[in-house]
Amino acid sequence: MTDAEVAECLARGRDGDEKAILELFHYMYPHVAKLVQANLPAKESAEDLIQKVCIKVMSHLDQFSGKVPFLHWVSRIAVNTCLNQIRHEKRRPEVRLADLSEEEANVIEHLTTAPTDLDASEQMAANELVDKLLNGLKPADRLLIKLMYLDGHNVQEIASLTGWSRTLIKVRAFRARAHLRKHYLLLMKETP
Amino acid sequence: MNPIDDQLNRLFRAARKPDAGEFVAPFGLETRAMAAWRAGRLETGSWDMGVLARGLVVAILIMGASMWPVLHKTTTDPLSEYLQASDTTLASDETP
Repeated sequence: MTDAEVAECLARGRDGDEKAILELFHYMYPHVAKLVQANLPAKESAEDLIQKVCIKVMSHLDQFSGKVPFLHWVSRIAVNTCLNQIRHEKRRPEVRLADLSEEEANVIEHLTTAPTDLDASEQMAANELVDKLLNGLKPADRLLIKLMYLDGHNVQEIASLTGWSRTLIKVRAFRARAHLRKHYLLLMKETP
Repeated sequence: MNPIDDQLNRLFRAARKPDAGEFVAPFGLETRAMAAWRAGRLETGSWDMGVLARGLVVAILIMGASMWPVLHKTTTDPLSEYLQASDTTLASDETP
């Protein structure tokens, strides 16, 4: 969809044209789904959250000023919705070795003993270990680390997606990284 | 680079999920989203309860303001009538 087509759809959608709303839904769906699945809070259904974001966007088209591209505006709504959901979750202060599965403990052992990258077979365990480490962070810091290190977005892209300033992103990333380092060190100390 | 940072970076690299490819809306999601959008439009098109409540408050205020002089007069009347009566009595006593 080109910018002109999006603008036309938006104008028709604001007037209540169902066909235009449907076109916008299909246009934004892949973007919303990708963001929600990457930042999905635990115990939350991705489909429910995607639906919630899409309805929010479709119902508030009149609030879109056009100062940023439509998909950026949609991203901010998606990110804020995910953040609000994550805020309801309890934060775990730290991960202990006893909380890890055998595979996750093996990942730590590999990281500490060998300088090589992890095998593809260890990807799932690495994923779960990262999730456990991230659970100790504040919701916004957790989201930022996921966007930065797991999705591979740079500071500028994160600023567009979240609406946060570049300085705030850098400060948050630094603080979150320090927390992660501390949690990881605690795990390492427990490893025999 | 700090060895801890290096290990964390390798951990993040391994945890990166491969691109899930094309996202297609699952069956039913589109219908549910459109139904919710329609319901939202119907709600905003019908009576807005907030406006109704504000209208009620304004009406009560207007009623109160218009009744205030009457109520005020009623509460002050007995004293003023008493004083007026006293004045009348005095005046009538001094009448030659």
